[in-house]
Amino acid sequence: MIRLTKVELRRLLARRLTAAGLVGLFLITILLLVATYFEARPLSAAEQLQAQQQYEMAHKDWVDHSAENLRLCEADWAKQPDPKPKLEEMCTYPEPRPEDFGKPPTIFAEIMPELLQGSSYFLAFAAFLIGASFFGAEFSSGAIGNWLTFEPRRLRVYGSKLLAAATGFVPIAAVVLASILLGTFVIVTRLGDSSNTTGKVWGDLTAIGGRAVLTTALAAALGCIVGLLLRHTAAAIGVVMAYLVLAEGVFAAFLEKAQPWLIKLNFDAFVRHDAQYYVTECKTGADGSYLCDYVQKTLSFEHGAWYLAIFTVVLVLLGGWVFHRRDVN
Amino acid sequence: MSDVAISTRGLRKTYRTLRGRKVVAVQGLDLEVPAGGVHGFLGPNGSGKTTSIRMLLGLVRADAGTMTVFDQPVPAKLPEVVGRIGAIVESPKFFPAFTGRKNLELLAEAIGAPRTRVGEVLEQTSLGERGNDRFRSYSLGMKQRLAIAATLLKEPDLLIFDEPTNGLDPAGIREIRETMRGLGEQGKTVLVSSHILAEVEQVADTVSIIGHGRLLASGTVAEVIGGGTAPTVKVAVDNHEAATRILTAAGMTVRADGNYLLVEGAPDPADVTRRLAHQELYVSELVPVRADLESVFLELTEGEGL
Ligand SMILES: Nc1ncnc2c1ncn2[C@@H]1O[C@H](COP(=O)(O)OP(=O)(O)OP(=O)(O)O)[C@@H](O)[C@H]1O
Ligand SMILES: [Mg+2]
Repeated sequence: MIRLTKVELRRLLARRLTAAGLVGLFLITILLLVATYFEARPLSAAEQLQAQQQYEMAHKDWVDHSAENLRLCEADWAKQPDPKPKLEEMCTYPEPRPEDFGKPPTIFAEIMPELLQGSSYFLAFAAFLIGASFFGAEFSSGAIGNWLTFEPRRLRVYGSKLLAAATGFVPIAAVVLASILLGTFVIVTRLGDSSNTTGKVWGDLTAIGGRAVLTTALAAALGCIVGLLLRHTAAAIGVVMAYLVLAEGVFAAFLEKAQPWLIKLNFDAFVRHDAQYYVTECKTGADGSYLCDYVQKTLSFEHGAWYLAIFTVVLVLLGGWVFHRRDVN
Repeated sequence: MSDVAISTRGLRKTYRTLRGRKVVAVQGLDLEVPAGGVHGFLGPNGSGKTTSIRMLLGLVRADAGTMTVFDQPVPAKLPEVVGRIGAIVESPKFFPAFTGRKNLELLAEAIGAPRTRVGEVLEQTSLGERGNDRFRSYSLGMKQRLAIAATLLKEPDLLIFDEPTNGLDPAGIREIRETMRGLGEQGKTVLVSSHILAEVEQVADTVSIIGHGRLLASGTVAEVIGGGTAPTVKVAVDNHEAATRILTAAGMTVRADGNYLLVEGAPDPADVTRRLAHQELYVSELVPVRADLESVFLELTEGEGL
């Protein structure tokens, strides 16, 4: 099994699609860092001057009119029917501060989790695609038949392919995520604010990165299985696209309550450690009015972890069963 | 080691087509391939040769029946004997984007054969330099060579070739034939399925003929040919009428064939000369018409095709 896995790893690395995928991942990494650079770049002198002028205008306006505005507002408030909103909620006119104008500095601890999560999407996608082709192409080319005349123990063959795809992507994902993490840190340290990056922040980021490595490895193995089930790379990709559009897009929009049972939210909940989602909740009030609220909900990390674990186990078993029984022509 | 390399009993396989129709590919095949030498596995298109071979190799699941290879039940014990089996089923299939050499290296590593073996088998099959080209760019003959090279990685005792000469030019065909004969002479067992009967007749020691997934005849080439039609002799004699009368009276069947008479049912060609000479008719020429594998095959498999 170990020997077979090593052979499969060698095959994975020798494939052209893998090479193309690595180049693609490298380019996306560079692109992300460049985007971060532009995002974090401070304003030019002209832009700063403009922001300064805007601040001065706003401040002058505040000096001139805030007392009067407050008075008018308080009068308005007095006329509100009961129950009244709080006065401070309705009528506050804080003094404008210079930092409210122009661009706020980019804060490392704030942007990094999003970046890692975004990276985990494209890593998972690349891993799935390469995994699907890794196994699917063997069926479309027929090479699997020849392979099985050298190693007829199907479950070993199956296991070695899944393991090779999964382990092959661990270092790839780790390198990509580490480059994005450290690259962003360097950029933000120079251009923005990374001063309050505490040990806890680093710990959380490392944990997100670690889980993103895991989901990438899983995506590679699941890609293998879908490639096996459908026997063609293109079919596997078509199924994923159809799922993303129909289930995650259309279905989730119509049936918001179904989101906790779809893959994406569970993926997010696992990678980010809890994920937020929104559902519209409507109810008829006491006075007969029909009110709808957009309510934020949280899907727990545990839910995501269990969901992904069960999903993976079911697919691995299904794939093994199919491959064990399938007639190879 | 027993003297049987492959045996199947009551082997059956039914395929289900896309539209749910059932196709019985193999129905109760009893096959016995003696160890050592070349065994021809003959049958019309669609008679179940490839399916039988796939079942032996564990690529396709049998619905019923038992199979053994070197006395080991397969597919249960296939892992134990697979190292002794080299097989090419239909056209050779490898990873198309890898070079021939890379393909062989992966296979060698999978079975734990030393890497140096790859160079050796490439040399043996005269692929040499072309080993460094992509498999996709190979001609059919080169693909076939690579497939043979792959089987040699294992140094097998049993080689299974499914229509190995399909699409090859005469030189390629001869080469394959010589390879098979060479392997047979080394004491290895070669099971070769083919349509080209003249071809098989030249190399095979024993043959099995199947039709509609069932065994129709089996044995040495001589036995199978002999068992088909009764020997026929072609006789040249002056007086056709008298000769026909005499031989028919002796229970033989006589037909005119140009200047000759075709005599069937003679226990021995000597009978023909003796009976005619008794009546003072002298045979000027007598040729036994040897039935060949092709005519036996066509006779046996008449109406057995697709
Ligand atoms: N995967 C399959 N699905 C459905 N039917 C199949 C499948 N493979 C083979 N068959 C059918 O099984 C029968 C036997 O096919 P098989 O390929 O074993 O014949 P063969 O003797 O090798 O023929 P040929 O000489 O043409 O190669 C045929 O009727 C064929 O159509
Ligand atoms: Mg065939």
